[in-house]
Amino acid sequence: MQAVVSLQAGAVRAPRLGRVQRRVKAEAAENGAAATATLEKKDRKLSPLERGGTLKGAAAAGKDASDKFKNMAEGASGSAGPVLQLVEGRFMDYRWKGGRWDLSLFKGKDGEVDWDAVIDAEMARRKLLEDSPIPCTNEDPVLFDTSEIPWWAWVRRFHLPEAEKLNGRAAMMGYVLALFVDQLTGVGLLDQQNSFIGKVLLHVCVFAILLVRTTSDLDKYKNLVDEATFYDKQWNATWEGQERPSDN
Amino acid sequence: MASVTAAASAVAAPRVQAQRRVAPSAFVGAPVARRQTLVARPAHKAQQQQSRGTAVQVFAVRDGQPLDRPLRVAVIGGGPSGACAAESLAKGGCETYLIERKLDNCKPCGGAIPICMVEEFDLPMEIIDRRVTKMKMISPSNREVDVGKTLNEKEWIGMCRREVFDDFLRKRADKLGANLVNGLFMGMEQSSSDGPITIRYNLYKEGDKVGTPSTMEVDLVIGADGANSRVAKDIDAGEYDYAIAFQERIRIPEDKMEYYKDLAEMYVGDDVSPDFYGWVFPKYDHVAVGTGTVVNKTAIKQYQQATRDRAKVKTEGGQIIRVEAHPIPEHPRPRRVKGRVTLVGDAAGYVTKCSGEGIYFAAKSGRMAGEAIVKASEGGKKMVGERALRNYLDEFDRKYWATYKVLDILQKVFYRSNPAREAFVEMCESSYVQKMTFDSYLYKTVVPGNPLDDVKLLVDTVGSLLRSNALRARDSKSVNVSFGSKSNEEKLQPAA
Repeated sequence: MQAVVSLQAGAVRAPRLGRVQRRVKAEAAENGAAATATLEKKDRKLSPLERGGTLKGAAAAGKDASDKFKNMAEGASGSAGPVLQLVEGRFMDYRWKGGRWDLSLFKGKDGEVDWDAVIDAEMARRKLLEDSPIPCTNEDPVLFDTSEIPWWAWVRRFHLPEAEKLNGRAAMMGYVLALFVDQLTGVGLLDQQNSFIGKVLLHVCVFAILLVRTTSDLDKYKNLVDEATFYDKQWNATWEGQERPSDN
Repeated sequence: MASVTAAASAVAAPRVQAQRRVAPSAFVGAPVARRQTLVARPAHKAQQQQSRGTAVQVFAVRDGQPLDRPLRVAVIGGGPSGACAAESLAKGGCETYLIERKLDNCKPCGGAIPICMVEEFDLPMEIIDRRVTKMKMISPSNREVDVGKTLNEKEWIGMCRREVFDDFLRKRADKLGANLVNGLFMGMEQSSSDGPITIRYNLYKEGDKVGTPSTMEVDLVIGADGANSRVAKDIDAGEYDYAIAFQERIRIPEDKMEYYKDLAEMYVGDDVSPDFYGWVFPKYDHVAVGTGTVVNKTAIKQYQQATRDRAKVKTEGGQIIRVEAHPIPEHPRPRRVKGRVTLVGDAAGYVTKCSGEGIYFAAKSGRMAGEAIVKASEGGKKMVGERALRNYLDEFDRKYWATYKVLDILQKVFYRSNPAREAFVEMCESSYVQKMTFDSYLYKTVVPGNPLDDVKLLVDTVGSLLRSNALRARDSKSVNVSFGSKSNEEKLQPAA
């Protein structure tokens, strides 16, 4: 019997015979014709990719994952409930209670409310509802007002990085222009400030950097002027070249 | 020879005045120069029935000249603007013809009228189906704000059925002496700039399916025939940008209707409309759910679906009983008067931005045009022309320019993008804003208000806008809309 099996195995010559199949064959060989070829999956060791990586739980979501993906990675039995999800046409989040963000659930490490997390959550909620609008119901009114987040949290999160960037640019541009002027006229950096023209140019440089951040800003300002005056032009079209009674 | 030429010249110049009598010398075959006498000369049997046997002068009359018969004015279109123009004219003593093509027309309309209109135009309470005292504004993220906390018991927004409203105004004009004509305006001709205007129209007699072509001679014409005005085309008034408004009337169950008993809703968001709003307005036994847009008219069905979806839960179990759409002008036509023809109402383009309100301004402009004509003609006794009509235009522009401009600024600031709409709804929470908004809407005056509160309002507005724009995600798929002279496709830009 053994000889027949091995002869068959040799005849078929399957090159990549996995361990499972070898086991089956071996078992069949052992048990004879009445062997049942049961695959014992639980003994088979899976590859690392199939095992789902080496991390577990929330860490498995990724390096910089948001709350939503961490929750998804933890599975349904997550920490506190759904995070930023639309369930049956309603917005569900474990921190969203009664149409408001419950600020006590946003406590950071030091026990104070982590305003950045609140801003993130509201941003994500708005994006979610923008992408898939849900009907407005009387039972779930939305009452959260963005003025609940204090002004310094907004400044710290949005204004300060931008201010840093703009200040840096202004300083660099100012210094380079001052060097340039120094080379041309021989007037030193500090002496340039004594002349009126020098001061004017300094102001122009700084304000230009503040107002015109990219080239598309110039188009934006042109558009604003057009928008501000277009309606007036449309109304006055009837009076083009005509005398208007109220002018007399 | 001399007599022939004299006779020929007498006949060839029919506009000769009665005093200049050229005596023709008689010879066989000489044409007889007929003296122009004041005889009623109906050109058509129908016109014979039309004219009330008054004298018809066929030659031109300059502005300011006295007439021996009342001034004749034709008002084309019997909606709010036409009916109010006809009423003022008839009350002032002019011979008025109000030409309306469909006397039971149910024009697609929101049907909201401000309270000042009820007082100014003596409207009875019977034509107002509902008095809305609460309004809800709903932001893209479903933030709801109840607007209407500052209204007292005497202040409300009237909701009416256009067929009832228009019919009341027309019948009133008819009772006051205007001649209501059921006909479809086809065109008009004027042989000389100071001469009478001949109007061609199809007269619909009782039970007629097809109209009988008829003509009518009048001195002035007021075009009140709505957004697709024929009169405007005839005087080369020019085109305007327009929004398409789409509305579905839905009959909803009693308990859901109870919620809308005196409440109207306004949905903002770029799923509902990129540059306008979606609404749910209560009518007498059903609600009207609709939306509108200027920049993306081809997607109107999609916006309507989105509006229905947002109101889905509140209108559950409803049946659509009627689907209707209509253009809404966005700004006045470049030319609103030409010679002795002028435009009023939607034909002229008097619809506000931001709220899309047109009924009040239509009726008011009709009344102002009628009154200007009556005043300049001193009760229909003198001929008037373009100067009087320009007086009406100037008066209207001066009186309401501030209202239009303020609403234009509101639209430009708050309908630009989803963050702007969120800021809008947030701002509407404040009682000061609600009071200012309702005062200016209900009484049609721009009330200045307390300067300190205005500064605070400005600071709050800027703060709201900054916060909402900061909360917009970097990869947002929403759109930004600009309101300028660019084409509609260019106005709609993706945010990211």
